[in-house]
Amino acid sequence: MMSCDTFRSRFRAGNDEPAVLEHIRTCDRCLDYAAAVDPDVMFRALGGEELIPAGGVDAFVGEVMQQVRVRSAETRVGVAPVVSWPRRLAIAATLVAGVTGAMLFNRWDAPSRPGVRTPSAMHAQARRSAILATKPIIETYESEKATFVDVPSEEAGDDVKIVMIFDENLPADL
Amino acid sequence: MKRFATYLMVVLFVSASAFADAADVGRSLKVQTFQLKHKQADVAAGVIKPLMSADGSMSIQPAANSLVVTDLAENVKKIAAALAQFDAPPQPLQLSIRLVAASRGDAGRIDSALSDVAPKLALLRYNVLESAGSAQVTGREGEAGLVDLTGYRADFRFGEYDPASDSVKLSDFKLLKLDGDQLTPVLKTTLNLRLGQTVIIGATRQPGSQRALMIVVTARR
Repeated sequence: MMSCDTFRSRFRAGNDEPAVLEHIRTCDRCLDYAAAVDPDVMFRALGGEELIPAGGVDAFVGEVMQQVRVRSAETRVGVAPVVSWPRRLAIAATLVAGVTGAMLFNRWDAPSRPGVRTPSAMHAQARRSAILATKPIIETYESEKATFVDVPSEEAGDDVKIVMIFDENLPADL
Repeated sequence: MKRFATYLMVVLFVSASAFADAADVGRSLKVQTFQLKHKQADVAAGVIKPLMSADGSMSIQPAANSLVVTDLAENVKKIAAALAQFDAPPQPLQLSIRLVAASRGDAGRIDSALSDVAPKLALLRYNVLESAGSAQVTGREGEAGLVDLTGYRADFRFGEYDPASDSVKLSDFKLLKLDGDQLTPVLKTTLNLRLGQTVIIGATRQPGSQRALMIVVTARR
């Protein structure tokens, strides 16, 4: 990089040497000096010549437009709907049909709907009927002070049932 | 797209029709009067109660011994069938009664005729079992029964058979003890006996009593 003295010795109005213009980009004092000599030097120092891309402006514009088209195409691909409307309708119809079928099947199978009994519902009713209601063995007893004790059976489904009556009013010589 | 929209509409229409149909089917109620010939209407009401739907209702007309049932048509059919089966002429019944004098002793002694109930009574620590008489009685629903046992007498009335519990009621079962010519009442009770089940009624004054009278009863058709 040239010194300030060299710059000032070489700088003239209309000078557009790259090395000279490079110096005033980094040295404010020399920039003031150069601006006083040639005000246009500031615009030249911006590097206007370097803004022209390699291959010319037309080639640059062509490349930019190509990039714009590529990006535009990428955006279209990314934003485009995955499923088209007819397919969406088909999916919705299938879902509705599936849900409807499942609900109808459940209603058909459930015994809660009165009046309409399926074989499975009737089976369930039969099973319930098979479970007999239970009644107390001792329904009434003459003494109110008596105590009844159901002796638990050791075996499930035992066909012998024991009920003890403890009653102070019973004869002593039973 | 139009084809799919049409398909969707058809599916929705079919499902709506199905639900509407499901809501209406079987909702119509039917009223029917059942007059009973052999059984009491209030007892029959208990028999049909489990068969009735949530929409059903019934009323008893004691004077005519009849039931007025309102329910879904299909339920009324089932109720009619159940009542036809229930309102049968009095059924023959058989009752087996055995009296056992049970006590707790140092040495166990069990009457050979009581070997079937001895294991059960052993649970209550009664190891001395003596037969105090046994009898078989046959009769029909509603009929009275009388049994003379050794030193005891039992009288009762066969009640109605209850199909819901598969049991028969033994009403006013009175056990009397013979003291010479005198009859001393021992106990009076009403029992529900499930058909085929052996029931042992043990009677004693206190839980710690060393003696008890066991009434072993079995009802059969």
